[in-house]
Amino acid sequence: MRRVITVLLLAVPVAAAVLGPLIADLFATQGGLPYGVDGPLGTDNLGRDVLAQLLKGGATSLGVAAGAVLLSYLVGGLIGLTAASARSRTVDDALIRPLDVLLPLPSLLVVSVVAIGGGASLVKVGLAVAVINLPTVARLVRAAALSAASGPVVEALRMQGESWWRIQLGFIGRSVLASVTADIGTRLTLAIFLVASANFLGLGLSPTSADWAVSIARNRDGLLLQPWAALAPAAMLVACTLGLNLLADGLLARARRLEVR
Amino acid sequence: MTKYVLRRLALAVGQLVALSIVVFSLTAMLPGDAAEVRQSEHMTPEQVAALRNQLGLDRPLWTRFLEWAGAVLHGDLGQSLSSGLPVNQIIGESIGCTAVLAGVTVLLVAPLSTVLGIASAVGENGRLDRVITAVTLGLAAIPDFVLALVFVAVFALQLGWSPATWVGVTDLCTPELLALPVAVLLCRSLSLLTRQVRAGTVTVLHAGYVVQARRLGLPRRTVLLRHVLPNAAVPAVQDLARLGDNLLGGVLLVEAIFAIPGVATALITAVQQRDVPTVQGLTMVLAAFALLIHLLADLICDRLVPRTELLR
Repeated sequence: MRRVITVLLLAVPVAAAVLGPLIADLFATQGGLPYGVDGPLGTDNLGRDVLAQLLKGGATSLGVAAGAVLLSYLVGGLIGLTAASARSRTVDDALIRPLDVLLPLPSLLVVSVVAIGGGASLVKVGLAVAVINLPTVARLVRAAALSAASGPVVEALRMQGESWWRIQLGFIGRSVLASVTADIGTRLTLAIFLVASANFLGLGLSPTSADWAVSIARNRDGLLLQPWAALAPAAMLVACTLGLNLLADGLLARARRLEVR
Repeated sequence: MTKYVLRRLALAVGQLVALSIVVFSLTAMLPGDAAEVRQSEHMTPEQVAALRNQLGLDRPLWTRFLEWAGAVLHGDLGQSLSSGLPVNQIIGESIGCTAVLAGVTVLLVAPLSTVLGIASAVGENGRLDRVITAVTLGLAAIPDFVLALVFVAVFALQLGWSPATWVGVTDLCTPELLALPVAVLLCRSLSLLTRQVRAGTVTVLHAGYVVQARRLGLPRRTVLLRHVLPNAAVPAVQDLARLGDNLLGGVLLVEAIFAIPGVATALITAVQQRDVPTVQGLTMVLAAFALLIHLLADLICDRLVPRTELLR
């Protein structure tokens, strides 16, 4: 039951984000009145069809967050793996310590500072979110890889003359996988929140964009006139993060069960 | 213990120095400097160059950084480019609202989440635990700004219990005014922290020493207060520090939605006007505050459960 709910909650917004842009134009009704009742979900403050906007807006909301998390896992994972298997403490420290500086920085503050230069852009917001996640990911991977990296199997692989990449990705990387899957749901939720908050505050996309968070910001004044214009994108975001939270809870519980065994 | 405290303090100082470099270079190396922001349409390129010279922007980056850092150490954060006011004054005028908002939230969230989290963990998988878990899971999934909009629509516009914005407000600390913004901030931070406290307490409750203490026949209260609480509090205090980050993000959004004249509003305005000195000053103050919270959290944890590996 819980699994069905999780899948449903995740599937609807993800499908809207991935397939939505392809079919959005089928629903677009031209030139309606602002906050009108044309179309299944009415129109928004610019008289555009809410359903069509909804289908177009997911790609930026979820795509940027997913891309940023992926990037932070690629870079942070590499740093963490290298630090864990470094044979000298100095290399380990040199890789991890500088990231400690980033750790206590308030995330939305970083995004707004990055957004100050040369106008707002989505790439910048994505990069900022990736950088914010970098220290925690690197630390997580390092901690998870440490015991495998200093174990006898790696020593044996090294003596057999296996390449660095093969040892890292083939053996140590695999042992990190459990911690990473347990963490990914929470991290993705936070990234979606952060990207959405930045867009809501106008630090990312232009104010006419179809993005879910931008739509909420733009249609908030009409919340009592035509609630769907703001509530539909909000529902999409909430469904997605709720699904991710449920998924993360399930994965954490599974990880804990495996640990006990 | 003193050795740990000294090392942790040294780390904090190092973080502060590195932070100032990051903040300065992020804001100073951006395309389009202060002279271009300040120029009017009638200025010739020569006049822009003269203005740049007057503002000292044609000198190398590191000289400017040293000068700026020196002034910051003397407590002078420079002058705003858009209004000409000292940045210190801008911060002084706006920090009150933010401090009240964040302070009230933290004062409510810390005891509430402790009680709810422990109650939930003690009755693990019971009815209360299920209700608390379901509600916190749901609330944690709703973005701050969605919550704020719904609250405004329902409580301010429909029911008229509380004003929808802080525009034209003079007295800041009235309960009606604080209710909605604090409620928004409270919902998310309370649910996140309650979940963390619950998870921490559950882990401790299953730990060998607690099982042994129970087996010895120690009273339930003694076990809970003397053995479970201090150990369960360590991750919770760390999470409370991390919550500062979350809270600041929330404050930024809540101030924007309710038009509260706080630090976050000042920051967003400065970002939009590309008012570099103000952004630098506000960022430094906020980030230094975050550093301080993390430092305090680490020191408190060291007092609660003395051990050295916390630093790593």
